[in-house]
Amino acid sequence: MQKYTQQLLDSANHIILGKEHKIRLAVCCLLARGHLLIEDIPGVGKTTLAHTLAKLLGLHYQRIQFTSDILPADILGSSVFDGKSHEFTFHPGPVFNQMVLADEINRATPKAQSALLEAMEEYQVTIEGKTYPLPTPFFVIATQNPSHQIGTFPLPESQLDRFLMRIELGYPDPKAERALLTGQSRQSLIASLPVQLPPDKLQEMQQLVTQVHTSDALLDYCQAIINFTRESAEYHCGLSPRAGLALLSAAKAWAFLDQRDAVIPEDIQAVLPAVAGHRLRAGHTNSDAIVAPILDKVPAL
Amino acid sequence: MNSPHHKRILIFLLTSVGLIVLPHSVNIPPALFGFFSLMLGWRFACVWRPQYLPTVRVLFFLTMLALVLLLSQHRHLLGRDAGTNLFILALGLKLLEIKAERDIYLVTYLAFIVAASLFLYEQSLFMAAYILAVCCVLFATLVAINSLQIHTRAALKTATVIVMQAIPLTVIIFILFPRVEAPRWMLFEEKNKAKIGLSDSMEPGSISDLGTSEELVFRVKFTGDIPPPKLRYWRGPVLSYTDGKRWTQVRFKAPVANPSYAGTAYSYTLLMETQEKDWVFGLDLPAQFSNPLVQNGYYQLINLENPHKRAEYQITSYSQYNTGNLTRSEYQTSIQLPREPSDKIKQLVTQLHGFDSKPDALIQQILNHFRQEDFHYTLTPPLMEDNPIDSFLFSTKRGFCSHYASAFVYLMRVAHIPARVVTGYQGGQFNRVGNFLEIRQANAHAWAEVWLENQGWVRVDPTAAIAPERIEQQLNLDQLELGGDIRFDAGDAKQLNWLKQTRQLWENADYQWQRWVVNYDSNNQSDFLSQFGIHDFKTMMQWLMTLVGLMTVILSGFLLYQKKKATDPVLRLYQQFCQKLQAAGLTRTDREGAVDFAHRATTALPEHAEIIEEITTAFIQLRYGRVTTREDFGKFAKLVAGFKLNNRKP
Repeated sequence: MQKYTQQLLDSANHIILGKEHKIRLAVCCLLARGHLLIEDIPGVGKTTLAHTLAKLLGLHYQRIQFTSDILPADILGSSVFDGKSHEFTFHPGPVFNQMVLADEINRATPKAQSALLEAMEEYQVTIEGKTYPLPTPFFVIATQNPSHQIGTFPLPESQLDRFLMRIELGYPDPKAERALLTGQSRQSLIASLPVQLPPDKLQEMQQLVTQVHTSDALLDYCQAIINFTRESAEYHCGLSPRAGLALLSAAKAWAFLDQRDAVIPEDIQAVLPAVAGHRLRAGHTNSDAIVAPILDKVPAL
Repeated sequence: MNSPHHKRILIFLLTSVGLIVLPHSVNIPPALFGFFSLMLGWRFACVWRPQYLPTVRVLFFLTMLALVLLLSQHRHLLGRDAGTNLFILALGLKLLEIKAERDIYLVTYLAFIVAASLFLYEQSLFMAAYILAVCCVLFATLVAINSLQIHTRAALKTATVIVMQAIPLTVIIFILFPRVEAPRWMLFEEKNKAKIGLSDSMEPGSISDLGTSEELVFRVKFTGDIPPPKLRYWRGPVLSYTDGKRWTQVRFKAPVANPSYAGTAYSYTLLMETQEKDWVFGLDLPAQFSNPLVQNGYYQLINLENPHKRAEYQITSYSQYNTGNLTRSEYQTSIQLPREPSDKIKQLVTQLHGFDSKPDALIQQILNHFRQEDFHYTLTPPLMEDNPIDSFLFSTKRGFCSHYASAFVYLMRVAHIPARVVTGYQGGQFNRVGNFLEIRQANAHAWAEVWLENQGWVRVDPTAAIAPERIEQQLNLDQLELGGDIRFDAGDAKQLNWLKQTRQLWENADYQWQRWVVNYDSNNQSDFLSQFGIHDFKTMMQWLMTLVGLMTVILSGFLLYQKKKATDPVLRLYQQFCQKLQAAGLTRTDREGAVDFAHRATTALPEHAEIIEEITTAFIQLRYGRVTTREDFGKFAKLVAGFKLNNRKP
């Protein structure tokens, strides 16, 4: 089982250079059945990452480019009158794919944003009184421009909460950048990628992740972190119970990736910036800095 | 107020209240104690059957009844006894009125007051320990009220910890807080308690059964030499006047002549227990003594200022002394006889060459007479109502020290040699643990003093002639009470040696307690504190404030910065491991998990990498793993115990 994840990570690292930790987080997020938000400036490889993962996992993939004039119907689909059969038939939108890349999600209006976010939470779409289930597995990888850029509608906290993790990619280091500049085109590389982790294996793994053991001592640590965010003056609003669950499941997936069957505090520390950063301070992008006080002040043992 | 939790609190509270009032059962009138017990029992029953709680009307009636009872016993509400009883009755009544949490607090505080009032009656070490223990139970009640789901044992433990934590502060305040003398009416209301002890008169013929009491009279700690048992005569009242049956004191003014002293000087600290009289029993013969002692004409030490208090005195005595000449009036009182002695006695004195030999020869003659004739020492002599001296000398020939001393003095006086009876204590049990002598009521003794030319008053103990063991050794009281023959304990009987040692240990603890804690009055306090350069009230208060402040700062600092001690034994072992690594300059920060730390440690100490990995893996498995066994823990413990840094690397 571990062989698959290792191959997956290796292949992805081959495409996106110098971002091992971020890729690992992204895979971890998928294993924990969470949606991923990538926040960074354009051109650092957000789309490439999403595309690579979709390809490696052998999932049906669709990209939705969010713009300020996009409508919910453009995402979800709509009923169209069929002249032959004299009735309305539902034309599913791009959201009916196993992996959806919502590009630049904060450029869309809140109405369009919430259409997608509802689908993410419910794993189904309701249009004109009829409910259509979304395919399984279902992942959304959304990318977001930093909110200080012109023409953006920042996602509210309640919607940010739907994403299990938020990661920043950042610029590649010089060595990776040189390899990128001299290397093959990424497009062609992605096209040639084999499927490393078929969907049935992925689902099996997701099941195994939920069975990773969490001891009382670890839950104590987890709760200590949650309580700290609620009591500390650093944050004006602490982690919600949903955030606590997210933290634990992400940590389980991280432990699974590390080939352990029990979560240790290091797992929680590893996923904490990605899981808690956007929940604690929506406007800021530096997740490591946001959670630094937690890591410093809550004793790990 | 009927949840199981409140039930437990109530049981806790009622038990501690019962424990607190229990020692008062000997102090308060039976009627009042009975009333209180009734209230307590009633409340106990109501823990399970709340419907039997009294109504307001019944409660009012009970209160009136309590007041009537109290007034019938004391006729007023002031003073130690009445005040304490009032508190106890109020406590009992309040128990029946527990409705809200507030009442539980009130009862608890009342119980604390009643606990404190126990000290008005007894200040022994045992009582202090008892009250401290009961206070732990009371604190546990408060702990249980304030933390909802706490177990009995956990509550008791917390309370004990609280009490223990309070001890340092208590000690500081005890030492430095100004001592206030309690007004005498508070402490000495024991009017009805006649104590056995020496009295100011002696009537040997009227006693047929000398009670022997183990009650402590005083304790003596010598700074230098300790006198041998045969010199341990503790001088009490001197009885010079006799009417033939009774011997009584004659009041004198100042000492007639200053005696000259020789021989070994014995310096000692004498801790007198509370007593009715103003006598202080100095070793024969006291020469120097501290205030407020004075010496009367019979060389007896008297405390005129505050005689009833338990107090310590510094005294120096000499075993050899010469009291010098007699005055006329002294001579008169010392040969006084009530009437012409009987012919039989005259005949005896003549036979002993009383009228034609030197006084010291006569002394030997009389002592020999006691020794050779059929005289016996007994604590249960026959009654001698009329002519006790005659009956004793010629018919019964059985008696204890008073009989021998009075008969001896009588015979001397018949021969016109000045003599008198001295009462006091003789001997004393030596406590090896604390190096002090304990003198009990059973050591009470009477001996004689004879005035000899050029020697002054000389002590003669006729009892020593008939029962030398009485002087040299200890009376074995346990044997006596069993009705057996009088046997004298050589002082270190082999059997029950450990029992004796335990007893001596305890008695020493009690002595130190009395000396340093109970007897710590304003005088002792200023003496003690001046050793540390604290001479006046202002400095004392400054020290008190400083120390209390310092203590508070230290304790609060401790509270703020203390590292929580791990409750998990696995974690505790791991912390030991971390401590060992600390020696190598590797300190685990709070944020570091075991794996991260192990990574850092193996990088820093590659030679220990293997064992560090092993310990970390075992720790992770035990603390976070799915299945852990006792063997795993044992292995982990062994690994941690065996982990050693070899610092001596070249």
